[in-house]
Amino acid sequence: MLGNHHRIGLGLVPVIALGLAACGSGSTAPTSSSPLLIGVIAPFTGPDAALGPAYFAACLPAARAINNAGGVSGHKVSCQEFDTRGEPADAVPAAQQMVASHSNLMAVVGCTSDEASSVAPILNQAHIPMFCMTGQSEFNKTSFTYFHRLVPPDEFDAFAMVGSALDHFNYKKVALVFGNDIGSQAFVGPAMTALKNLGATVTINQAIALGQSSYRTEVTAMLATHPDVIFTEALGPTDATYMAEVKQLNGSSLPFMGTSATIDPVWFAAVSGAIGVQDLVSNFSAVDLGVTFSGPGYDEFKTNLDAVASQFPAAPKYAQRGATLHLYDGIIQAALAMDETKSVDPTVYNAVIKDVGNGTTGSVTVNTYAAGVAAIKNGQKVRWVGAGGPTNYNQYNNSQQGYILVKYDASGNEVTIGTLTQAQTAAIIAAGGG
Amino acid sequence: MSLIVAAFGFGLVTMSIIAIAAVGFTMQFGITNMINLAYGQVMIASAYAAYAVNNAGVSIWLSMVVGAVFGALFSFLLNRTIYAPFQRKGTNLIGMVIISLAVSLVIANVLLPIVGYYSVSYHLDTGPTLHAGSIALTGVQIAIMAVAVVAMVLIYALLHFTRLGKAMRATAANPTLARNCGIPTARVIDFAWLITGALCGVAGVVAGMNSDAFSVANGSEFLIPIIAASVLGGAGHPYGAMIGAVIIGEMTEVSAALITPEYKQVAAFAALVLVMVLRPQGLLAKRGTLAAAG
Repeated sequence: MLGNHHRIGLGLVPVIALGLAACGSGSTAPTSSSPLLIGVIAPFTGPDAALGPAYFAACLPAARAINNAGGVSGHKVSCQEFDTRGEPADAVPAAQQMVASHSNLMAVVGCTSDEASSVAPILNQAHIPMFCMTGQSEFNKTSFTYFHRLVPPDEFDAFAMVGSALDHFNYKKVALVFGNDIGSQAFVGPAMTALKNLGATVTINQAIALGQSSYRTEVTAMLATHPDVIFTEALGPTDATYMAEVKQLNGSSLPFMGTSATIDPVWFAAVSGAIGVQDLVSNFSAVDLGVTFSGPGYDEFKTNLDAVASQFPAAPKYAQRGATLHLYDGIIQAALAMDETKSVDPTVYNAVIKDVGNGTTGSVTVNTYAAGVAAIKNGQKVRWVGAGGPTNYNQYNNSQQGYILVKYDASGNEVTIGTLTQAQTAAIIAAGGG
Repeated sequence: MSLIVAAFGFGLVTMSIIAIAAVGFTMQFGITNMINLAYGQVMIASAYAAYAVNNAGVSIWLSMVVGAVFGALFSFLLNRTIYAPFQRKGTNLIGMVIISLAVSLVIANVLLPIVGYYSVSYHLDTGPTLHAGSIALTGVQIAIMAVAVVAMVLIYALLHFTRLGKAMRATAANPTLARNCGIPTARVIDFAWLITGALCGVAGVVAGMNSDAFSVANGSEFLIPIIAASVLGGAGHPYGAMIGAVIIGEMTEVSAALITPEYKQVAAFAALVLVMVLRPQGLLAKRGTLAAAG
């Protein structure tokens, strides 16, 4: 008769076998037509769980566009989620597992401010091109050659908020209410510096713990400072709870302005549910990445996004999420770089991603992946101008295109109410000491 | 000063929610010897069950009943299908804690594709805001406090004046002796899961009502102050959990006013650590756990 330990030992055998099998599959290099994988490494659970789906919604239409054109040099492409829970402690094993188990990774997207610092070194060491949605300033001049960022650093978001609040709305007294997570706190320092240098007043700076059942004490303290506007980014249900309590304790909502992360269907649903759609439409504004949501590149993205609703029903809701558009562009850029170099080896095609994004002398502008492949087959170099518009990578593979000031309509669609060009943004950045 | 008084008022609401939840949590431990780390996830699942009904047009108060029934049945089934079989096999307390942690993760990840990652809000009228000095409370918040008081009174009556309550106390004190005295301990434990599950469900709904918006991610956040209040009052002791809820609830809010909101949980846990250093058994544990409730 077997004792418990023996039974446990026997029970471990299939587990170990499965583990070895998983390791074995991961060690196989892509063959001439084997599928390639795009890893979406981001929070899919935890307080920032709303971020992951926005990035997954970028991957699916990109994969569809690529596969409909025959794949990347015959390789079909698919997307897989890797959950970081928004915690570096969970992100590191997730990234290590992703790299160890999938030798066919062509690119990785996601890597938000929650986990980029811990994930980017792993991906860089594994020579995997990454398109990250982190706003951390440590990546402004990064030495990671496989790192790409199609969005500005968070401090630029903060500067754009300050510029919009002062110039567009003429607000002078600002309350800062940001979540106490790494990503949200990245806005606080630059916003405080910019507000001070531009003659405005920070009435209160609150770092609020995410996911609490109430913030009434914090709201009472904030209301006592009588701000003109609240700057905020506190994801999950936190902003919804906070703003509902502002409305309750103040008797009416106050104007509030969000970062580009608040232009998100999940955030809209949460806050509109808590304070009412009309209050949200009337009192809320946000800065967003300078995207026009028009043109052939956007149309191609939108067509593919709508088409993947059968795989991911929420996908069409991300049609105006700047991050979704930009990550879609990043994936297509990587695919076109692979086509140009005729290689699935990242050490070969990584350097060409920048050329595809910025264009080189004589390159032809393409807005669809199929057009890009056709041009490459004709011996031409291509410049990708996709859903998010032109890319302008600098020497650190950072790209940014200015900002727009937006609000929501009653259906949750983004409505542009002002524009900050790249030059205007640069001027505010300079005034803010950025 | 007025901010501190206002924070004290908000603390009354916070402690009411924690009290409902912590009493259920600590009774589960006291009677069934199970530290159920899935408690927060059952709370949020119950809150969503109530939301489904509320969203269909049913009043929040009837929806709360649905949440309570859901929490009761969910907890009962959780014990019958997962916890009890492991306990029968002799899995030790630490092993059971790990199992409950795994159950918590499973519930959260099963819930996510069902309800989505969207935050939701109950359809309810918060009623007029009532002022008493610097304290301002909505009608709903006062109702939440009333629900907590009623729940506490009912738990007191159950443990003191009913045969089931006395059987629960006997089972908590010594299950073998209780069984030998003719008490059907297995049935008592079933009732304990149903009753504490109902408290868990009610706590989830009132937490959702108070926060104006909730999502799956709130489950793990709910659990932290509940455990703190239970341990502070003396693990397994319902009245200790009530006192723990008062301390944790008020410390959380008043420290947010006095220090900084970022550290409000830190302040509450500092109080917990202090009590644990000075009185490791918890505030009321000298008089025993659930068995000595009366």
